[in-house]
Amino acid sequence: MFVAKLFINASKLIEKILTFFGMLGAWLAIPLIFVIIFDVISRRFFVIGSTKLQEMEFHLHTALFLLVLGFAYVKNSHVRIEIIRERFPTKLKAWFEVFGTLIFLLPFTGMVIYYGLDFVSRSYNMNEVSAALTGLSHRWIIKSFLPLGMFLLWLAGISVLFRNLAYIIAEEEKNETIMKNSLSISPELKSIDFPEAIKSKNKE
Amino acid sequence: MDIVTLLPVFMFLALALLLFSGYPVAFILGGVGLAFGFLGIHFDVFSLIEFFNILSRVWGGVCENLILVAVPMFIFMGTMLERSGVAKDLLYCLQVLLRKTPGGLALSVTIMGTIMAATTGIIGASVVMMTLLALPVMLDRKYDVSLATGTIAASGTLGILIPPSIMLVIMADLLAISVGTLFVASVLPGLLLATLYIIYIYIRTKINPELAPPLPDNIGPTARKDILLLVAKSFLPPVALITLVLGSIFGGFATPTEAAGVGALGSILLAIFNKKLKFKVLKDVSERSALTCAMIFGIFVGATAFSYVFRSLGGDDLIHDFVYQVGGGSWGILFLMMAMVFVLGFFFDWVEITLIVLPLFAPIMATLDFGNHVSPELIIPWIAVLLAVNLQTSFLTPPFGFALFYLKGVAPPSVKIQMIYKGIIPFVLLQLIGLSLVIGFPEIALWLPQRLLD
Repeated sequence: MFVAKLFINASKLIEKILTFFGMLGAWLAIPLIFVIIFDVISRRFFVIGSTKLQEMEFHLHTALFLLVLGFAYVKNSHVRIEIIRERFPTKLKAWFEVFGTLIFLLPFTGMVIYYGLDFVSRSYNMNEVSAALTGLSHRWIIKSFLPLGMFLLWLAGISVLFRNLAYIIAEEEKNETIMKNSLSISPELKSIDFPEAIKSKNKE
Repeated sequence: MDIVTLLPVFMFLALALLLFSGYPVAFILGGVGLAFGFLGIHFDVFSLIEFFNILSRVWGGVCENLILVAVPMFIFMGTMLERSGVAKDLLYCLQVLLRKTPGGLALSVTIMGTIMAATTGIIGASVVMMTLLALPVMLDRKYDVSLATGTIAASGTLGILIPPSIMLVIMADLLAISVGTLFVASVLPGLLLATLYIIYIYIRTKINPELAPPLPDNIGPTARKDILLLVAKSFLPPVALITLVLGSIFGGFATPTEAAGVGALGSILLAIFNKKLKFKVLKDVSERSALTCAMIFGIFVGATAFSYVFRSLGGDDLIHDFVYQVGGGSWGILFLMMAMVFVLGFFFDWVEITLIVLPLFAPIMATLDFGNHVSPELIIPWIAVLLAVNLQTSFLTPPFGFALFYLKGVAPPSVKIQMIYKGIIPFVLLQLIGLSLVIGFPEIALWLPQRLLD
């Protein structure tokens, strides 16, 4: 009981953090548009070197998708092969999510974080700058988004793990309120349009 | 063969099996990559430091890659356009224009699908949007359900093939060919398919008019001047945007990435013009495009890790040997690849197929030789177009065509999945005709790039 509630609250707290970083990343699309437009226009008319602007473009692109990776997982936006899973009862779905997170997501993100920090510190120590003469300096800053993004994804794994465990515990204890609570924050446990199609096919 | 040489085979089987667990594809790819990396270390065919190389690969391939910057921009453009009301105006105008033609509404949907395909390239979004816009009207007019759903599903998936398309950007990047070339090469095949749909709908409704009852004469304006105004108002904005984006790429004025940025701004301006832009819309569009972006690049990162380990364990050689043993020369290999992608398309989305399978095919594609049929330097763009047509078809093939499920998901409950299956079959046959034509006459894909990009 107490544990399940704790899990739900912890999961919600993490989701808030991920939403903050995710939306931060999402908004980067707007400056990205304007950097590209500025690059296109200024190159035609003012002949400033656009290497810096073009490097800014991939900086923004990199920051954008890395900041959103974790947010996308708690929002259940990462694509799944639903053909078999959609026939599972909810509790089995939750168990699969727990095992999947423990076996795939946490070790993989852990590996990328571990080697990612090494990757960044090498860049920092050698004072890495752009290969182009007129490019941007301080390459380590954007490179640190790689371990940061993976850390956010790791956090998302913990959040999803908690909310699914909460559901499993509540189901064991037949606690309807907590079951509903955990379901309401777990989009991955709800049936979506896609499986509905197969379900209605089976009914007919 | 000992267990170590067979490791890549086990790796691929493990991936295939685990994907059906329903856990997100991106993380399974990464997890399986990591696990087989450790297995490789155990058997002394992989070393710990190679994990570091994966980071460099991800950085170089996914992050520091100006070509891929086009992806978030095209996604933003498509998502914004969907909210800008352009499609609705376009469909209304087409209905008015084609109200006297047999199957007018179905033809309107096909033409709208083709035009929207030239502005976006996001399958789920366009099928859902077209279903919501057109299906209720068609059902209301007592259209044959199968014809209506088949038309929507087929026309809604053209976006994957007709440039600008995110899939073509990613394919070009993985195959190391120019995005512009691939865009140009897929224009005519895309239009060919749209034409085949139109001919089919026209003939079928001409023979059997009760499949597609016409609209009442009194919809919309009747005076010639008013109709022209309506056409100008609804066609001009999307056509201007398409001309701007594709024109600047084909004319060589802008890189695809720049054109995508311009297109994204254009879509915002269109939304402002249609008075649809509010802060809430902008926030929602940014969020939804970012989520789509994260989905694609998540798989990109996972697939990079997977293929690095797979290659390092000797998987490339195994595939190479396998393909040449089954073989049957270049033509045999081409058909083998097409068949594999077609079958995989039953279960997987284009994102997975492109990112997992294409890197494995790429080295083989470079060794194929079709004599006088296709000149050697154009073989890769040609095969890429064939794969793109094939992947579009895979969206439509029952039982697991994704477009069919998107459609079913938002269609009224009276529309049964059997009717959708029945309706899509003629269109799948049209796809296969289109695919055979592009195989038989490579000029359909290659004539335009040779003309434009000399």
